[in-house]
Amino acid sequence: MPDKDLTERPLGMLGASYAWLRRASPIQWIAPYAGSRLGIAGLTVAALLFPIVSGNDANIDSAANALAFAALALGLNIVVGFAGLLDLGYAAFFAIGAYTYGAFASYQIEPAWSQFWVPFQWLDLVARVPDPGGDLVHFQVSFWLMLPVSAAIAALFGVLFGAPTLRLKGDYLAIVTLGFGEIVPIVARNWPSVTNGAMGLNGVAQPQLFGWKFGIGATPYYYVGAVLVALLIFTSLRLKSSRIGRAWMAIREDEVAAAAMGINRVKFKLLAFAIGAGFAGATGTFYVAKLQTATPEMFMFPVSVMILVMIVFGGIGSVWGVVLGAMILQILQSWVLEDLSQWLHAIGRLIHVDWLQRIELASSIELIFGFILVAMMLYRREGLIPATRRVQGLTLAQQAAQVGTGFAPERLNLAGFGAHDRETDGALLDIDGLSVRFGGLVALHRVALQVPARSVVAVIGPNGSGKSTLFNAVTGLVSADGGAIRFAGRDIAGLPPHAVLDRGIARTFQNLRLFPSLTVLENVMIGMHARLATGAVGALLRLPGTRREEEAARERALAILEIFGNRLVPRLDHTVASLSYANRRRVEIARALASHPKLLLLDEPTAGMNPAETHELADQIKGLHRLGLTILLIEHKLDVVVDLAQHVVVLDHGDKIAEGTPDAVRRDEEVIRAYLGRSASLGGAAVA
Amino acid sequence: MNLEAVYLQQLINGLSLGAMYALLALGFTLVYGILELINFAHFNVFMVSSFFGMWALELLGLSGQAVVLTGLPLAGALLFAFIVTMTLAGCLGVAIERLALRPMRAVRGTAAMITTIGVSYILFNVVLLTVGADSKNYPNPMPNVSWALGGATLRLREVLIWGITIVLMVGLQLFVSRSRLGKAMRATAQDAEAARMMGIDVDRVIVTAFFLGSALAGAAALIFGLYYNYTSFVIGYSAGLRAFTAAVLGGIGSVSGAMLGGVIIGLIESLGGQLLAVRWTDVIIFSILVLVLVFAPSGLLGRAAPNKS
Amino acid sequence: MLAFHAVDTYYGDLHVLKGVDYRIEAGEIVSLLGGNASGKSTTMKAIMGVVTPARGDIVFEGASLLGVSVAERVRRGIAPVLEARRLFPRMTVYENLEMGAYTRARGPEFDADLERVFSLFPRVKERLRQLAGTLSGGEQQMVAIGRALMARPKLLCMDEPSMGLSPALVEQVFDIIQTINKQGTTIFMVEQNANMALSIADRAYVLQTGQVVLSGPAAELRQNPMIREAYLGEMKVE
Repeated sequence: MPDKDLTERPLGMLGASYAWLRRASPIQWIAPYAGSRLGIAGLTVAALLFPIVSGNDANIDSAANALAFAALALGLNIVVGFAGLLDLGYAAFFAIGAYTYGAFASYQIEPAWSQFWVPFQWLDLVARVPDPGGDLVHFQVSFWLMLPVSAAIAALFGVLFGAPTLRLKGDYLAIVTLGFGEIVPIVARNWPSVTNGAMGLNGVAQPQLFGWKFGIGATPYYYVGAVLVALLIFTSLRLKSSRIGRAWMAIREDEVAAAAMGINRVKFKLLAFAIGAGFAGATGTFYVAKLQTATPEMFMFPVSVMILVMIVFGGIGSVWGVVLGAMILQILQSWVLEDLSQWLHAIGRLIHVDWLQRIELASSIELIFGFILVAMMLYRREGLIPATRRVQGLTLAQQAAQVGTGFAPERLNLAGFGAHDRETDGALLDIDGLSVRFGGLVALHRVALQVPARSVVAVIGPNGSGKSTLFNAVTGLVSADGGAIRFAGRDIAGLPPHAVLDRGIARTFQNLRLFPSLTVLENVMIGMHARLATGAVGALLRLPGTRREEEAARERALAILEIFGNRLVPRLDHTVASLSYANRRRVEIARALASHPKLLLLDEPTAGMNPAETHELADQIKGLHRLGLTILLIEHKLDVVVDLAQHVVVLDHGDKIAEGTPDAVRRDEEVIRAYLGRSASLGGAAVA
Repeated sequence: MNLEAVYLQQLINGLSLGAMYALLALGFTLVYGILELINFAHFNVFMVSSFFGMWALELLGLSGQAVVLTGLPLAGALLFAFIVTMTLAGCLGVAIERLALRPMRAVRGTAAMITTIGVSYILFNVVLLTVGADSKNYPNPMPNVSWALGGATLRLREVLIWGITIVLMVGLQLFVSRSRLGKAMRATAQDAEAARMMGIDVDRVIVTAFFLGSALAGAAALIFGLYYNYTSFVIGYSAGLRAFTAAVLGGIGSVSGAMLGGVIIGLIESLGGQLLAVRWTDVIIFSILVLVLVFAPSGLLGRAAPNKS
Repeated sequence: MLAFHAVDTYYGDLHVLKGVDYRIEAGEIVSLLGGNASGKSTTMKAIMGVVTPARGDIVFEGASLLGVSVAERVRRGIAPVLEARRLFPRMTVYENLEMGAYTRARGPEFDADLERVFSLFPRVKERLRQLAGTLSGGEQQMVAIGRALMARPKLLCMDEPSMGLSPALVEQVFDIIQTINKQGTTIFMVEQNANMALSIADRAYVLQTGQVVLSGPAAELRQNPMIREAYLGEMKVE
């Protein structure tokens, strides 16, 4: 959906000039380079040399802090940017990571010594300390060990806090996460035995590298921070362009469609929470090691909001964007505002204005953040570096789509497509006595329907007859109130949508449910989600097996798109929102095909297409049928039905009123009456 | 005091708090009912309005608790203060809607809510930077009259607060159920497109909702100041949390739900503070919020709340 | 009274109405027929002003409606009876009727219209204080029509009045529609049930995928076999 016209917004002139500015902005030019090898190499060198070039410890310290927030921004980006889950309590995981390290690296907690601790002493994780009241345990776990451990513990809490939010709408989810985000610092403040309450932990051990302590200079922390951020950037990028990232983005764009394409929403939402929390946990450890203390104030709502502002400013969903956003805002806070305040003081003295001399911009950082947040939301929601890239236009030749009729998909290498278990002769899909009720309304009433393997069956009927409800019941989007649904001999009623897809039933939607800001290729590859096996670890390491799988997946996606001639292939990297209506319908079919289904459910596939396009699509569907695919089709263009279907079922007001061959059905009195309406005894004969 | 008296006192306190939270929750729920928008800025409009109230009273020459009025002058001063505060609060709310929220109306998802977080921040920090971080002594012309009630003390201010709250709630209820614009608001909340086709100016309805909602926040803010004798830039957070929970508990979008929820939360706060330590009150309230949202999102009196679309 | 001149509408890039022309004379009952996804609802929305045509003009009583707000259209005399009724569920029947008259002042005219609604629908008068959401489908349809009548419209636009109603109720409703028409209100009725619609309409248009494929006096259309084809989606490439 296009943004409102700038001139309609208040402060329109301001906005208009800003819009001009953003078009001319160098950020646009930098962005493509940021990802290239040259860019990364340059960045690495600059990062490595920075402390050497700048002798100032205070500056290095600020940079190290900026790196910490960049890491936090990367973590929140996974939850909010990738998976679309608005977490307003993210600082809680930061706190958990911090206090976990604090607990095991300071003498805050001093359990009594017992035999239990001996193996830990042997591993040098604890020390036995003599004390008049009885020997005590002092924790001295290494920083390097705690980094992954706190990340893991934070991840656990990520799952814990995320689990209650799974069924909630966006804004309610945000409030619940906000709630957890508030509870954690309050608990920290009121649990002095573990956290030392409001006074904060003290004596948190410095990291050591092979016996050398880090000391109080900021430089070693800076390098640790830089490595941490580099690792997290690497992880984010790898995840984003993998099966995992695609699953997250599908959930963000349209949960229901994501589930229908085989994505287990629960698993992936929890995974996003966990990984995001893990990032924060590791950063918490780093930050506390650097500060050598932790107080509850460091983890309250304003911190969560600040990280949110950073990712909104930098570009929600864009890895480089959020890093840039975090660093700019953090450096703004520590360097620029200080200097700016000095200048304002000087100006104030010059022109004898009192409040200018007293102003301290650094303390108004939160006000500035508030303005930045509102301004970005109103005028540039996609942030400095947008997550979706601009694509070049098509050549004239590419625009003129040529797809002849009589096109044969079997010429393409779609091996093994649809040609499945020989043992399912008889009905592939067997629906028996299916009833669905919505409150008092009966949508389907004891409907029975069989779809034999390798056939095309059509379901027709006037508006409101229950056709889409039938599809929804089969695919698990709606629960049945009676009756049985069997697929390939096994009962599928009650299965969640992603499990139904896994069994081999894929569908398209009457009102189109694509993933709007993702590209054509990404949409189709999400269709393949259930048939690929790469997990988070595989995505991260990108072993040869994973790479091969991705390659093969891409090949298959291309082969499927080629069914539609050159209509979709030139538009591979275009976002689906920019496609024509007919092309979007085709992409949805391609996405369903990508899941290698045994049964394809098409809900009004030709809706909105002109006769030529309809004819072309009908041919393509016939071609798929010839490959062995079983198809159940909702269609109201009867000639299409006659052309494609061997068997037709007619629904009216939730009842099956007729079935048979297309010709028989179209002449059936009952059917005609259903479409044209029951005539009354109000004078005049019924329509011929 | 014996145990009964203690509980009675806490009941009285709880009802006063509840009145305040109910007004604040009402304002919040009015906007949510129509726009389905969680307006974070509402609670800092509350905070800013307490300062409006303070200045209105100071305009009358009242400062601190030095000047005490009774009878007609008292009523006049309070009336003046309420009118001024509520009007300014309402205007602030309308300004926020026009500048920050109307452009977001077409945008799906949580973008508008995030914008209200930003606005809330701006209000909070503007007040902090201009007025300072210390609490301000609130002008209060009410005489220190109180009555003994079974061992507990009932002060004049409590009676006044209940009285004013009841008047406002009844007024709102009458407006919403009897007046043309009020009915248009209800219609819009139930089916905005059908309302538009009746010729209702939906934009005007939204502006009215924001004005009324913010005005109620203003009233709650003045009550806060008169009850506690102080105000500061942080009061939005704590009162906001409680009012928000009250709105959700009572059923978000429901006017009677907000009233009921407010009273319940007020009682929980005062009795909870009695039974457990006060410092755990925030955790209790947040827990209630989370539990209601997760297990019973429609609250006590609300309709089925929207879950996944 | 109302005319569409070569109106095109789009939903995103989907071409919904393709150069349609309609004509409704004062005092008529004109029905718009068509099967699934033919563009019937969009026609209604275009008349009410919820959808804006990309091309073409809609003229009401000699004045173009382009750029005219929904509220103004109601004031000029067009009132809708919405698809699936869409009453305000938690408002009483009386309040729903009041909302129908939102653009009008109170006074003797309002009272007169209320009486008229009561005389047409005695059941409505019985249920005046009940919440609209608790009424049955048929009762809701009565209230919905009553609500539209409270605007004292010159043109009543009805969107699928038969939907969700039993055949007996449908007869009742259509009876009432005829009565209202005889009392002087022009009726434009979008309807899926061709049989019922043609039995009371004077003229009708048949839409198929956004184009008018048939039109004429109802009596003629009733005999025309092509209607069946239009409904069953047998495509005619024009």
